[in-house]
Amino acid sequence: MDLDYTTSELMAVAGARELKDGEVVAVGLGLPVVASFLAKRTHAPHMTILFELGVIDPQPVEPGVGLADPRVWYRANVLSSFVDILGSVLHHGRVDVGFLGGLETDRFGNLNTTLVGDPRGKFRHMIGSGGANDIASCARRTIIIMRQEERKLRESISFITSPGYLSGGSRRAEAGLRGGPSKVITDKAIFGFHPETRELMILSVHPGVTLDEVRSTMGFAPLVPDPVTATEPPTAEQLRLIREEIDPERMYMG
Amino acid sequence: MGKLVTLAEAVASIPSGSHLALSGFAITRCTMAFAREVIRQGIRGLTVSQCVGAMDADLLVGAGAVERLIYGGGSLDRFGRLACVNRGIEGGSLHAEEYSSLSIAFRYLAGALGLPFMPIRSLVGSDLLRQLQERSGADVASIKDPFTGESWLALRPLSPDVAVVQVQVSDEDGNAWIRGPRWDNAEQVRASQRTIVITERVVPGDVIRQDAEQTVIPGLFVSHVVKLPFGAHPASVYRVYDYDAAEIKRYVEATRTPEALQAYLVETVHGVPDHAAYLEKIGGQARLSELMADPGLGY
Repeated sequence: MDLDYTTSELMAVAGARELKDGEVVAVGLGLPVVASFLAKRTHAPHMTILFELGVIDPQPVEPGVGLADPRVWYRANVLSSFVDILGSVLHHGRVDVGFLGGLETDRFGNLNTTLVGDPRGKFRHMIGSGGANDIASCARRTIIIMRQEERKLRESISFITSPGYLSGGSRRAEAGLRGGPSKVITDKAIFGFHPETRELMILSVHPGVTLDEVRSTMGFAPLVPDPVTATEPPTAEQLRLIREEIDPERMYMG
Repeated sequence: MGKLVTLAEAVASIPSGSHLALSGFAITRCTMAFAREVIRQGIRGLTVSQCVGAMDADLLVGAGAVERLIYGGGSLDRFGRLACVNRGIEGGSLHAEEYSSLSIAFRYLAGALGLPFMPIRSLVGSDLLRQLQERSGADVASIKDPFTGESWLALRPLSPDVAVVQVQVSDEDGNAWIRGPRWDNAEQVRASQRTIVITERVVPGDVIRQDAEQTVIPGLFVSHVVKLPFGAHPASVYRVYDYDAAEIKRYVEATRTPEALQAYLVETVHGVPDHAAYLEKIGGQARLSELMADPGLGY
């Protein structure tokens, strides 16, 4: 039987599947929170969730408006500091996965959350880095989760806030950075990166979405495997957990 | 002389042009009453730093009190962006130096420890670093690890003139507890020349001594203590009161245009003589009692 689900729910489930039991995960707010709590309640009960401002493994009972909302710190194991979380855990190299959203990304998984327009001319300033640059620079791998539109997946982005593979190939490693983006999860498809050129590569297309729709909603041509597989849909239990326990007020899922 | 003073007295100790490290994070433990008094007293030309830009910095920027902002990006969480900061950056009136959360925290840490610089893995390869390098007198540089020869990015320490920190509990000497996460506050205090503690509650020194492991700010760093319930309003203070969503939304609306902001400043800052009058203005005890935190939940 086919289940009804939204693209946000599919993205959260796809994000959860990327997380393994026992991993340490640095999380930004929104869909990454739903994905992480879903993984923790299903296949990854021993995962550790980190929020940059000094929160380890909270068990919220209400969704919050952001990381500054004490609702998302509820029942944490640790309430500490940036130097503790982003320093001793992340900078030291103890974070397995960074989970990031963004305004724009490019062929090599570089992320922009700073500004749109021309940084030397006319532009609109948005949010900036927060811990995103630190996470993208220091985590063993990062997962990018964002809506897919031509103006968001671009050949060239306005500003690199958080480094992906820079201009591709071995440029990231040469710059002295470990890790790098492993997946980009959108509302149309799941992408990976070519092991050598580090170009964005379609891994699976979501059920009901055509390959043409994926290509026509991005500003550059991704690598395409043959044949193209379909993204695994959510299970009834995953949907129940999201709707009844993790985000009953649909605060994160829109 | 005792450290316990009024808000107006503490603010009057700050010369125009000072560098302030403010304790806010987005919409929590922001030094809002302090910022309103800085604006009332007409203090200007400030440098403000914090790891994540918050409502306190945005209000000060909007009122024209800030010349330079050293921060790691920021927002008002779901309520919106830092509209005054963004407008200042876009129009060129605000000199903003943008980092990441950890790179600001490390600059404070270097200042706190008295180290000449702090190496960091972040920023490398990004346009944040390119922008910082393009500035004259850059506070970032490349160095070699003397032991391995590996290349590193080094950050100059931050040494603010004054840290201004909103806390839950302090004694009259400024031995203060911060409940909940502390983000960059402990390093801000230790990096700064002195600290102004703004506290929801003042307790006898004996209370602090009974649970001294909770003390985040040692009194020896503190020049002034201000007792100021609801000093962070409309931001939250963990375990004391929640954020005031309606009032933050009103701020977001007011910061959409410079004209609306001027009207908001007249009404909320210049039009009230002090913090007590501000609290009456926003609804007094009836409004504030709705914001009080549930002791079990902390919000």
